[in-house]
Amino acid sequence: MTDHRVAKRYAEALFNVAQRNDVVKNVDADLLAIANQLKNDPSFRSFLYSPKVSREDKTRILEKLFSDRVTIATMYLLRLLLAKRRESEIEAIQEEFEALRRGYAKAVLVTYTSAQELPDAQRKKLVDKTTKVTGRSVEALFEVDPSLIGGVKIEYEDVMLDGTVRGNLDKLRGRLQYDLFKNA
Amino acid sequence: MSHLDHPKTPVRASRRRHLIRGAANVGVLGRYIVAGFVLIGVGVACKGQAWTQPELLKPMGLDLAITITNMGIFLAFAGVINVFYYTPFKESMDARNHELEATFTEAENLKKEMAELRTSYEARLAATEAEAREQIQAQIREAQHLRQTLMAEAAARADDLLRKAELETEAEKQRVMGELRSHVVDLTFNATERLIGEKLDSATNRRLVEQFIDNMAVPSGS
Repeated sequence: MTDHRVAKRYAEALFNVAQRNDVVKNVDADLLAIANQLKNDPSFRSFLYSPKVSREDKTRILEKLFSDRVTIATMYLLRLLLAKRRESEIEAIQEEFEALRRGYAKAVLVTYTSAQELPDAQRKKLVDKTTKVTGRSVEALFEVDPSLIGGVKIEYEDVMLDGTVRGNLDKLRGRLQYDLFKNA
Repeated sequence: MSHLDHPKTPVRASRRRHLIRGAANVGVLGRYIVAGFVLIGVGVACKGQAWTQPELLKPMGLDLAITITNMGIFLAFAGVINVFYYTPFKESMDARNHELEATFTEAENLKKEMAELRTSYEARLAATEAEAREQIQAQIREAQHLRQTLMAEAAARADDLLRKAELETEAEKQRVMGELRSHVVDLTFNATERLIGEKLDSATNRRLVEQFIDNMAVPSGS
């Protein structure tokens, strides 16, 4: 079980170090790569989280895997987490680090979900409009969900702007059911 | 009550009474015997004298001396019979009569006692019957009251159950109607979605996205 307070402290420390050395983007990319590896590779995940594998073995293998691919700061973080038996916090640290990075860069992660793949021009238009709406730089993530039927849905932080056919139909359905029950 | 009849010594008293009676009998016997022997003596002494055979009695062959002697013998025998037969027989009869009288008296007493007991028993029986009737009547009244109470409770409960059943039926009806409406809405919207999905092409989708982008509200001052 991850403890976000712990993850936040590690992320803040790492962010400060990365900022001093001007490697914030690199560290962010390293952490994202490691998190993706953990997400997509169950054997790597079970190896890293296994209590049967000794710390020395984990350190040795992680160094072999990542020492020439990640920054020194990231490698140092990995060694520290293993020494403190906090390797299960890696994914939470990555999320917290990303949040810190975005906060510092005054950026916002915006997810655009559409029923069909959007053309580049429309993507750009969406990002520009969202930048104006949020007043911050946008890190765009485009996804496709055919169940939305048509239109696009925008999500960032706690905000959701739903312009999909599915969303409008759901709203209409809810209003109709409410009216039916109210008049029953 | 004499000292002879003392209840503490009934055997001794009886014996004494027997002895006294025996002595009295001996006295009576003696008198009879003495009188008998006197007459026998007179008869024997007068035997052969002329006056013992008067002319009047000669045709019948009677002799007064012999007659007097016979009378003495009869008297002596009468005493013996009186003492040894008649008196005990009479006493026995008297005792028997007395015993019978006592028995009858006792029977009468018992009869009276039984009659009293019967009267008392009948009175008690009547009282008991009356009490039993009263108790039965009270039990019947109580049972009727209980029956009425139970029937009233049962009726109230039945009414309550009926009311609850009606409410439940109404609630269930409303629930089913709601489900039905919801189902109808779902079916309608599913059909609509399918229809829109079939009809919606890329151009329409792009137009929808464009409209959405145009309608996105930009905060003032941005």
